[in-house]
Amino acid sequence: MSSYILFLLLGLGSGAVYAMLALGLVLKHRAAGVVDFGHGAVAMFIAYVYLGLRADGTLQFPWIVIPHELTLRSSGLATIPAMVVALVYAAILGVVMYWTIYRPLRHATPLTRVCASVGTMLALQAIAVLNYGTTAKSTPTILPSSPLKIGDITIPSDRLWLAGIVILLAAALGAVYRYTRFGLATRASAENERGAALVGLSATRIALGNWVLATLLAGLAGILIAPISTVDPTSYTLFIVPALGCALIARFTSFGVAAAAGLALGMLQSEITKLLSVWSWLPEQGLPQAIPFLFIVVAMTMLSRGVGARGGTVELQNPSLGRPSRPYATTLLCFVAGIVILMALHGSLRTAFIASLVWIVLSLSLTVLTGYVGQVSLAQMSFAGLSGFVLSHLTAGAGLPFILALPLASLAAVPLGLLIGLPALRLRGVNLAVVTLAAAFALDALVFNSTWFGGGLAGRAIPTPKLFGWDLGIAKGDTYPRVIFGVVVLLFTCGAGLLVARLRTAPAGRMMIAVRSNERAAAAAGIDVARTKLLAFGLSAFIAGLGGTLFAYQQQNISPPSFAVFTSLSLLAVTYVAGVGRIAGAVVAGIMLSSTGLFVTAADKWFGVGEYQALVAGVALTLTAIKQPDGIAASPPPPLVALGKKLSGVWAGRRNGDTAPPAATPVGGVVER
Amino acid sequence: MADVLVTEGLRVTYGGVVAVDAVDLAVPEGQVTGLIGPNGAGKTSMIDALTGYHLPSAGTVRFAGDDVTRLRPHLRARRGLARTFQSIELFDDLTVQENLLVARERIGVARALRDLLLPLGTGDADASAADVDWALELTGLADVADRLPSELSHGRRKLVGVARALAMRPRLVLLDEPAAGLDTDESQELGARLRDMPGEGVTVLLVDHDMGLVLGICDAVHVLDFGRLIAAGTPAQIRDDPAVIAAYLGGAREEETPVA
Repeated sequence: MSSYILFLLLGLGSGAVYAMLALGLVLKHRAAGVVDFGHGAVAMFIAYVYLGLRADGTLQFPWIVIPHELTLRSSGLATIPAMVVALVYAAILGVVMYWTIYRPLRHATPLTRVCASVGTMLALQAIAVLNYGTTAKSTPTILPSSPLKIGDITIPSDRLWLAGIVILLAAALGAVYRYTRFGLATRASAENERGAALVGLSATRIALGNWVLATLLAGLAGILIAPISTVDPTSYTLFIVPALGCALIARFTSFGVAAAAGLALGMLQSEITKLLSVWSWLPEQGLPQAIPFLFIVVAMTMLSRGVGARGGTVELQNPSLGRPSRPYATTLLCFVAGIVILMALHGSLRTAFIASLVWIVLSLSLTVLTGYVGQVSLAQMSFAGLSGFVLSHLTAGAGLPFILALPLASLAAVPLGLLIGLPALRLRGVNLAVVTLAAAFALDALVFNSTWFGGGLAGRAIPTPKLFGWDLGIAKGDTYPRVIFGVVVLLFTCGAGLLVARLRTAPAGRMMIAVRSNERAAAAAGIDVARTKLLAFGLSAFIAGLGGTLFAYQQQNISPPSFAVFTSLSLLAVTYVAGVGRIAGAVVAGIMLSSTGLFVTAADKWFGVGEYQALVAGVALTLTAIKQPDGIAASPPPPLVALGKKLSGVWAGRRNGDTAPPAATPVGGVVER
Repeated sequence: MADVLVTEGLRVTYGGVVAVDAVDLAVPEGQVTGLIGPNGAGKTSMIDALTGYHLPSAGTVRFAGDDVTRLRPHLRARRGLARTFQSIELFDDLTVQENLLVARERIGVARALRDLLLPLGTGDADASAADVDWALELTGLADVADRLPSELSHGRRKLVGVARALAMRPRLVLLDEPAAGLDTDESQELGARLRDMPGEGVTVLLVDHDMGLVLGICDAVHVLDFGRLIAAGTPAQIRDDPAVIAAYLGGAREEETPVA
């Protein structure tokens, strides 16, 4: 019995981190209405700053080229001074981030802010890798960790310290928000920013104050957890998943619930580790990581309330939609342009173009889901991954030919899409995004990482696609990549594009757009809102699954990391800033913005972006979100508009400029240079 | 003449507040029936209960002979019980014509997928288009069919809401304050159009607090006050009903003098 309690108490350590991060997320949401996916990355960054100060007294700045180190004391700082300096650093980082990113975005849609936060997360992660490398670091203890005997169990006392700190923090925050003028002002401006301004409260100052407080909390969490879990750029950033879950359970408002949920989740995870050794029938891998999802689902089902009726309509700005007027002609044009590009490019650039085509398919899956029906999913790469692995089982395993295996594998993602779509019947917007993220995380840990299904570290092989004995594979002998494989991918990409373009003006598409605009009115018009959403989820999963199978054929060997949840985050962010309501947006996302796509590869090849590529991508994403919240494709740069008009004049003189012929223009620009 | 919609003992509560209490209402087919009452009388609560947006805590709603008390909103719409909203609530990303089309076309998942994969025209499309044209014609919106709702005036946006309900070719349409925010001319024009509805096979339940419009075009009028029906009759009877006058002028019952 006592060992069960021991594991419960050991879980207080990670539970405290989830709780502290969740408190920060609640603060940020109350202050600025932002669900910050980069919150874990901030904790990671401050932890590194602290480690640097402790180890050799150097303070690292988040820039790269110009001198970015300052040695304060070469023998290293003591614990308390290092913590103080690191927290001051965190406060400054908070001010800068709020002022440069979230203040300009305070009137943008919640999704735009999510994209900006994904950008900052990627950027901070990239800086951490550049500055500190990817090897995990550890640090001497901060809190007293002498073993403590309670009854017949002995646990390190730092776990109890951490839990105590969290409870104190939650109580203090709760008190501040209930009883102080600052707290009252925050609540007032969260209710109604203009009203608060009318009674003389500066919404900006209040939000800034809260933001800095939240960043300090993140920093504190990062520093305090460092001794019990080694610091590295990825795992720290991933703390955001359980933390978001806890904040969601707290409805992004209650400090007490957030803290309690965090501690409970940590203990539950730890207890599962113990149970694994007792109940041998439990799956060996991934269960602790999957727990947050189950936790969230159970909690949300228990807490869930109905949607408000009269006057309760949420005013959500939706991304603008394109209106493809000549889908067949445009598709044909794109296909021809794609063939030309495939022939013109060689080597790494041709590979990059094929990667762009695959990414376009993945982005199109979001055009349906987020663009047309307004639902947010952070599980798109899970659909792609499922199809990819199923493809491997069907071909390498069961020996099915390409022509059967590809559609079957793509369809395999549909049930998963319907399953992940179920929460969408009750949840909306960013809340839905958090649940899908947790689901993707659970799926990754439980299914993809099982050796049988995902092939473990070695991955699973994908045999060369053959059509009636005709080799369509990407490699043959020394030839790589082959044009014929590019043509196959192009064919499917154009097919997916045509499908999504036709959906826009088809009855089903109208139903989706009606649901996106106004669910109450849609029901009054006789539309089954639930089925329409599920239809979109199924279709989106199918398209993402198609992307996954094409990706698998391109890679020839796939392993779980390719479908990690952060790829899904990047996919949503990149597609959203490119223009999620348009086919052209998906094309821009694939060719210009995807990290393995044509533009980035070309930039790397000619200008040597090299190791800074991840950083550039993150910063570019954040900047685009700030500068063009409606998406690049919604307001293409003037030269492109002019070119588009000219082309449309040549083509038929009847097309409307809204849907410039996608692939041809941006790619042409790159190739000619 | 049969009643197309009948309620018995309808009671609607929000938390502890009783919005509608023990209402027995009958809407005869082929007429324009009015439901009026001062602000806060429970008119919109009534519509929400009739169309399934808020389930009543007691009583029944029968539509075309069937008990629909607990049926979900979209299924009532499909049976021919259409409604509009006080706050318009159009699909802002669809053109006026598409707003109507999406209400008229009623397709299942199988049809939706078949349409997408096999790009062939279907016979039903013509019928849909005909109904949409009919509704546009009836509401005088044919000239703006291809515009987005956001480009129209407030009055015409309200008409789009009405047209969208009509495009479904409903047996009964519930109009929630269609005249609110319209100027006098627009209101009169709307009234004339509503008067024509029964001739087109559409029964109308007009809910408004604009006495002039309702008394001007309805065959029968019911008056709601504090959640209860306080009067019913022809417009002439309602106009002279002391209880109605009292409800509208407030507190008049006790003093008697201002009414006289």
